[in-house]
Amino acid sequence: MAGFLLRRGLFAIGVLVLISIITYGIFFWLSPDPAVTICGKACTPETIATIRHELGLDQPFWLQYVQFVVHFFAGTEYGTGPTATPCTFPCLGFSFQTHQAVWSMISSRLAVSATVAIGAAVLWLLAGIVGGVIGGIKQGTWWDRAGLTVALGSISLPNYFVALILQYLLVVQLRWLPFPSAVKFSDSPTQWFANYLMPWIVLAFGYAAMYLRLVRASVIETLSENFLRTARAKGLPSSLVIRRHALRPALTPVVTMFGMDFAALLGGAVIVETVFGLNGVGKLTSDSITKNDQPVIMGVTLLVAFFVVVANLVVDILYTVLDPRVRIPR
Amino acid sequence: MINFYQLIYRTLTTFSSKKGEGSKVVPDLATDMGQSNADATVWTFHLKKNIYFSTGAPITSKDVKFGVERAFDPKLAVGAPYARLYLDAPKDYEGPYKSGDLSSIETPDDSTIVFHLNQSVPEFASALTEPVFTPFPDDPDTVTETSVDQKPVSSGPYEVKSYTQGSSIALVRNPYWKASTDSVRKAYPDKIDFTFGVDAATVDQRLISDQGKDVDTISGNSVLPSSLAKLQTPQLKSRVVEGESGCTTYLVMNTTKPGLNNVKVRQAISYAINKQQVVDAAGGNQLATITNTMLPSNTPGYQSFDLYPSKDSKGDPAKAKELLKAAGVSNLSLILDTRETDTMISQSEAIQQALAKVGITVKINQIDAASFYQTIGTTSEQHDMTVTGWCPDWASGSTFLPPLFQGSQIFSQGNSNVAQLNDPAVNAQIEKIEKMTDLTEANKAWSALDKQINELAPTVPLYYAKAVSLVGSNVGGAYSDPQRAGGVNFATVGLLDPSK
Amino acid sequence: MTVPNAEASFGLTEVEAGPAASTPGRGRVVRALLAKPQVVAAAGFLVLLVLLAVLAPVLTAIEGSGPNAFHSGAVDSDLGGMPIGAFGGVSGAHWFGVEPQTGRDIFARIVYGAQVSLTISLATTAVTTVVGVVLGTVAGYFGGVVDTVISRLMDILMAFPALIFMIAILSALPDGNRTLLLICVLSVFGWPYIARVIRGQTMSLRQREFVEAARVSGARLRHQLFAEVLPNLRGTIIVLATMAAPGYIGTEAALSFLGVGVVPPTPSWGQMIAASVNWFTVDPTYFLIPGAFLFLTVMSFIVIGDHAQKVLDGREA
Repeated sequence: MAGFLLRRGLFAIGVLVLISIITYGIFFWLSPDPAVTICGKACTPETIATIRHELGLDQPFWLQYVQFVVHFFAGTEYGTGPTATPCTFPCLGFSFQTHQAVWSMISSRLAVSATVAIGAAVLWLLAGIVGGVIGGIKQGTWWDRAGLTVALGSISLPNYFVALILQYLLVVQLRWLPFPSAVKFSDSPTQWFANYLMPWIVLAFGYAAMYLRLVRASVIETLSENFLRTARAKGLPSSLVIRRHALRPALTPVVTMFGMDFAALLGGAVIVETVFGLNGVGKLTSDSITKNDQPVIMGVTLLVAFFVVVANLVVDILYTVLDPRVRIPR
Repeated sequence: MINFYQLIYRTLTTFSSKKGEGSKVVPDLATDMGQSNADATVWTFHLKKNIYFSTGAPITSKDVKFGVERAFDPKLAVGAPYARLYLDAPKDYEGPYKSGDLSSIETPDDSTIVFHLNQSVPEFASALTEPVFTPFPDDPDTVTETSVDQKPVSSGPYEVKSYTQGSSIALVRNPYWKASTDSVRKAYPDKIDFTFGVDAATVDQRLISDQGKDVDTISGNSVLPSSLAKLQTPQLKSRVVEGESGCTTYLVMNTTKPGLNNVKVRQAISYAINKQQVVDAAGGNQLATITNTMLPSNTPGYQSFDLYPSKDSKGDPAKAKELLKAAGVSNLSLILDTRETDTMISQSEAIQQALAKVGITVKINQIDAASFYQTIGTTSEQHDMTVTGWCPDWASGSTFLPPLFQGSQIFSQGNSNVAQLNDPAVNAQIEKIEKMTDLTEANKAWSALDKQINELAPTVPLYYAKAVSLVGSNVGGAYSDPQRAGGVNFATVGLLDPSK
Repeated sequence: MTVPNAEASFGLTEVEAGPAASTPGRGRVVRALLAKPQVVAAAGFLVLLVLLAVLAPVLTAIEGSGPNAFHSGAVDSDLGGMPIGAFGGVSGAHWFGVEPQTGRDIFARIVYGAQVSLTISLATTAVTTVVGVVLGTVAGYFGGVVDTVISRLMDILMAFPALIFMIAILSALPDGNRTLLLICVLSVFGWPYIARVIRGQTMSLRQREFVEAARVSGARLRHQLFAEVLPNLRGTIIVLATMAAPGYIGTEAALSFLGVGVVPPTPSWGQMIAASVNWFTVDPTYFLIPGAFLFLTVMSFIVIGDHAQKVLDGREA
């Protein structure tokens, strides 16, 4: 087990290092010169050269990358004197636009993204697992068909389109929900809840459909396996067989998928946050893209990659614990 | 910007906040509009009494001088560079932190300040409204190179209580500000909270709904075109504040590019553009008014003209084709630099369509919103054409035509003469008008120059942007002001019922 | 399952890497599929869509408006450019109404947008399928170091936050040929999802007697791969490709929605929906029409893919 963990852990770290190099490389070679962006109006070639030097942009790629990694762990400072802004671990550099530390910009928005992700996850897990298990057990019934049809529809709907339809119906036509406006939970819990309800539903919509299909297929497959047939043949009641023996193996694939999906969402639901004007990491990403704020885009990319890689690792470990059929590979 | 700065900063002179006179320059920290020598190269101002910073220290002439000196520091340059442009400073002067004292500003006593200029500037009192002339306490230890961004020392009725970049600013009263010394600011509210980064559609919808705290809210931006259709009820109409922004949006052609270096081609393009379609793309008649002049209509001495007329301003393709034929140009293909926003892309598409009708192919080159102005201001990076706007720093041809059309103002970077027009007659006329000490005559001459330039067609004036803003139902004293980009004047707005 | 709402994982997860079923005859599959009314409807819609895209110049000529022509008369300039008339200005001259502000014809933009959508998604499907099948079979068949290298590459690519990364790359790259760029970027992140399944199936095929026999009898490598392995993967490949296409349509639309897709004035469904966001309260037709086309296209692909998979698995022959 220890060897397995070590190997997976090393691989995860390797992936992260590689992703950071590729990400850094893309911004290094493809993006427009950040010095020109910072320099702003009334800019001379000399000023640009000064800025490039100050930011270390005149150094070769590998040196810059190594410096980035060193700063990430050891921290650095932006500006000089008593007003310099410190950047401590995990230091992802400074935004070209707001001159704030990238990590503080991201971390201050993580709560919103997490709220979006958690609420949506609860909804889609509920709908997906319940629908999938019922569909799998009662395969071919009216329930199953209805579930599959709804899933097919919602899997085909792009979430920004669902967002518009929902807003049009619930806010404009039926007036069941107030127009979204940014409020703190402490100011108005009802408005706060109403604000998040639509993003939750919209996000959960597509995922629930995927999970329903996945769980359903998995349940059907598990039910056809030998050990369950044996259990049933031994005379155990059907409901007991399902609860005790079928569900756990049937739900293990869900764990894999959920780990990855949820991790990616923690790094911001770009489209949903943009459409609903929620000030999360996803909105930060799309705003930074329009402003060409490369350090922020890079920071978010690395953060999401980190989440996904860690989730992968956790899932791998959980898998060995959850599914009796999985043996640790040597 | 000036609208916000007026809340926390005072300058020697500033813009009036009387309704309908928002573009007029009036004394603020100074007792009057200043005295100059005969050729307007030396200007003397006296400070009012009982004027204080938010630190409690009195504002002296030395503080004004220090503020101006700071503006010479290349790192701190904010806004229009009038201090560097007009003051008689050594070429290598880089502000008080690096270069120390600037001898061309004299402070014979604490309430008198004398500016020595490098040229005659009859409108110098107007230039003093600019943010670069904001006073800061003359103490390089407390007011450092970066401290103003972190903790500004205020001279106006409010001071910054808290500031989160890109998100919010909270203003509270500056206890040392005395209403008796200030004829411009009413400063009714006790505190003002600014929230940034709220989605425009959300802002509109919240103001339309007018619920809870939103009754005390005004918006810093004009409503979206899509919201105009919702503002048709009498209740909503009564809360609408609308007016000119004092800015002109125009198509500018790079006169150094092949094809566009031919005046006939530029005139053909002037005829071809369907301005009504551009206006529709910009949000329709409520948000834009067609213009045929570069100067805004609130400019003193303004005269209207239309050198390239067409029915309903929808363009005259026949005339345009004629001119292109006369120029011997065919199969012209141009690149239109476009700021990557929905409305600017639509406007570029309107121009693309209009020019397609006369056989000119236009390729839209999208530039992200943040680097657009740098790109078009860099002569090596700009392409053939672009749609951009200009708001004069104060209502006068002198802050409009020279930066856009004077040959000596073509810079390889940070260039505002995007057309790269370098016409000897225009250059000579600009220099001549700038020396006129009779402002009425000068204003007339600027408008005549506007026409003279338009004959060369370096730009196609498209429209004056207008602002339509909505205010909460508990907001009083809100009116639109062209010097504040058509938005609600912050300095005079208040709550009808503060207890609400 | 491919997911058009690009927020979710990008690529296939549902097509199982189980033992490859021997592919039934082509005629029987098509017949079995065409017996399903849903499949017929879905295929019918896709055929119609392809016709719309191909005949776009003809159809718009009949209707009378090109995709980029402005129509000032069709919008009310005093109301911010609201389309004149019910349902977003639907009329004989503008079958699906007009865009607010510009008055451009929505029908024309839909059919020209279909060209963009289909070109990008089908080309990406072709590229990812070819690359995925080649690398998947190679990895699965040869195993060892080759397999390790390819598998690790797939792992890394799948660990990438694909959507954010695509946005970042596309926004950093100069305009150039956007369609080609989109195809490339989508392909880079798309192929591992196909290769992974193919690799699994090849590995299991390799153990089968007939492949084993070919290998032992010293058949040429090319023969082993092309005569023995690939034909048995045909069914899986078809299903994978059908399931991948809607994902690319959805992702392309999402990228255009976020403003990093094709360049204006080229019409795109995603970009049309993005433009309609501010107008949905006063002009719902504007978002409903492109949204409906996107929805139906994606759903049609999924219906066909679903049923093809069932038929090929022999579950519902």
